[in-house]
Amino acid sequence: MTVLGYLANGLVFSSIIVLGSIGLSLVYSIADFANFAHGDTMTIGAYSALVTFGAVGGLGGAVLGLPYGFFLALIVGIAVAAVVAVGTEKLIYEPLDIDSIGLLITSIGIAFIYRAVIQIRFGADFTRFGVEPLRPIEWLIPYGIRVTRHDVAIVASAAVLVVGLHVLLQYTDLGRKMRAMADNPDLARVSGIRTKRVKLWTWVIGAGLAGAGGVFLGLFNQLSPRMGFNLLLVIFAAVILGGIGSVYGAMAGGFLIGMINQLTPLLSRLGEVLPLVPDGFGIPIGIEYANAIAFVIMVAVLLVRPNGIAGEGAT
Amino acid sequence: MSDDATAPTATVRDDDTTPTDAGDADDAVLALSGVDSGYGEVQVLDDLTLHLDPGEIVCLVGPNGAGKSTVLKTAFGMLTPWTGSVEYHGRDIGGMAPEEIVREGIGYVPQTDNVFGSLTIEENLRMGGVARDGGLDEVIETLYDRFPIIDEKRGAKARTLSGGQRQVLAFARALVMEPDVLLIDEPSAGLAPNTADDVFADVQEVNDMDTAILMVEQNVTKGLGISDRGYVLDQGTVRFEGTPEALLNDEEVSQLYLGG
Repeated sequence: MTVLGYLANGLVFSSIIVLGSIGLSLVYSIADFANFAHGDTMTIGAYSALVTFGAVGGLGGAVLGLPYGFFLALIVGIAVAAVVAVGTEKLIYEPLDIDSIGLLITSIGIAFIYRAVIQIRFGADFTRFGVEPLRPIEWLIPYGIRVTRHDVAIVASAAVLVVGLHVLLQYTDLGRKMRAMADNPDLARVSGIRTKRVKLWTWVIGAGLAGAGGVFLGLFNQLSPRMGFNLLLVIFAAVILGGIGSVYGAMAGGFLIGMINQLTPLLSRLGEVLPLVPDGFGIPIGIEYANAIAFVIMVAVLLVRPNGIAGEGAT
Repeated sequence: MSDDATAPTATVRDDDTTPTDAGDADDAVLALSGVDSGYGEVQVLDDLTLHLDPGEIVCLVGPNGAGKSTVLKTAFGMLTPWTGSVEYHGRDIGGMAPEEIVREGIGYVPQTDNVFGSLTIEENLRMGGVARDGGLDEVIETLYDRFPIIDEKRGAKARTLSGGQRQVLAFARALVMEPDVLLIDEPSAGLAPNTADDVFADVQEVNDMDTAILMVEQNVTKGLGISDRGYVLDQGTVRFEGTPEALLNDEEVSQLYLGG
């Protein structure tokens, strides 16, 4: 595979990481809560879509190699993830009334519960969406890029969601209230913002995006009860790299971490891709160490910019 | 302006005497009676009674830790009174949440962190009006007219403002709701003397718009200088009350509390 090919894969994987990172950062900044159940919220989205797609099937036409039914399943996945997260907030986190460390530990327990329920129903094995696998797009193959139209759909959908969130944050009343709350929760209440309501919307949006990320992760790889949890630490790395609490930082961090993750195989072929390095040279590290590399990069960036790429509090 | 307390000396409050101006409290726009309040287990206010009449400026002075800011926080629902009542136009609002009290007609300007730094000036004002039913654009334009210093910077992030400009924006944000009571915590804190004078002038101007003001101020001379009445707080309760002249001229008050 060429450098372009790795970059293309990185773009697809980044799209998924970005969707996960935004919600984690959003909930952190507005609800002051590092939610360890966020990864499993992605899993919930993926399996909800799996069930829906199994039930409704193709529904006629298709876009980018994906039947209409898949997009319906995507919407259901987003909705179920949002409803489960809001329900958990209302039934467990909010009544608990404990500090942020207590919430963090509780959310680890919630993550186990989400995963257990999925595993009881679907088993621990890998599974796939029932969409027909596609061959890589023909005209890109000469450039060494092997992406399918499904991959294009993932990137395009993620872009739509990210732009939609940007518009919401910058130009709507709810978005301004969310930014005001992230900036200064006390002043938000003093100004008359009903913060509990805004918090619930934050959960809806954050978990909804996670649900979408989960569906795309299932399409990109496959589904398993551990799929979201396995990604959680990488998503945390992305969020912290971007500057925790900053939505735009989470986007940047998610993009970088996703790219780094997929570019890892290039390390063993440095000589081929870099001009001044002897051809045979390479650092023999495989893709199985991609997560470790992502964390090394995160630590390196934090040494230079302790508050992450976007600095502090800049939602 | 009300001119009721014309006693030549400040009135001393003892624990066993009823407040001398209790009669006025009946028409008060805001009245705290027998309030105990504090943070967690720590009591700060101890049987505190004071009131604010329509259109007045009232200044709370006293040593650090006397509970001046706590009075404002309790009146605004950020703290729930343990005992006693907080009445707004005769209705008990003690323990109501701040976001609901704003809707009643009380505004609050905190001492620090009183603007949304990452939001623009325009957005700060919009946040000040989230509880309005309508007329938001009109009232924001009126405020821009009144405070040209922020009009020039509508699209700038609030964190780029100077200390004085920030204080003006903080007032304006609270005024978007057109409150008839404004609680202001140390408007001159951290400002250069000239800027502080401008801010006090703004406080007076806000008062001229028929907004009664209950203000905490470290700068006793200037704070009392623009006020109709003052209360001297110590250890969570009112020790003296009276007109600014009476308080400033009272020997005991100045020696004990106003730094001689």
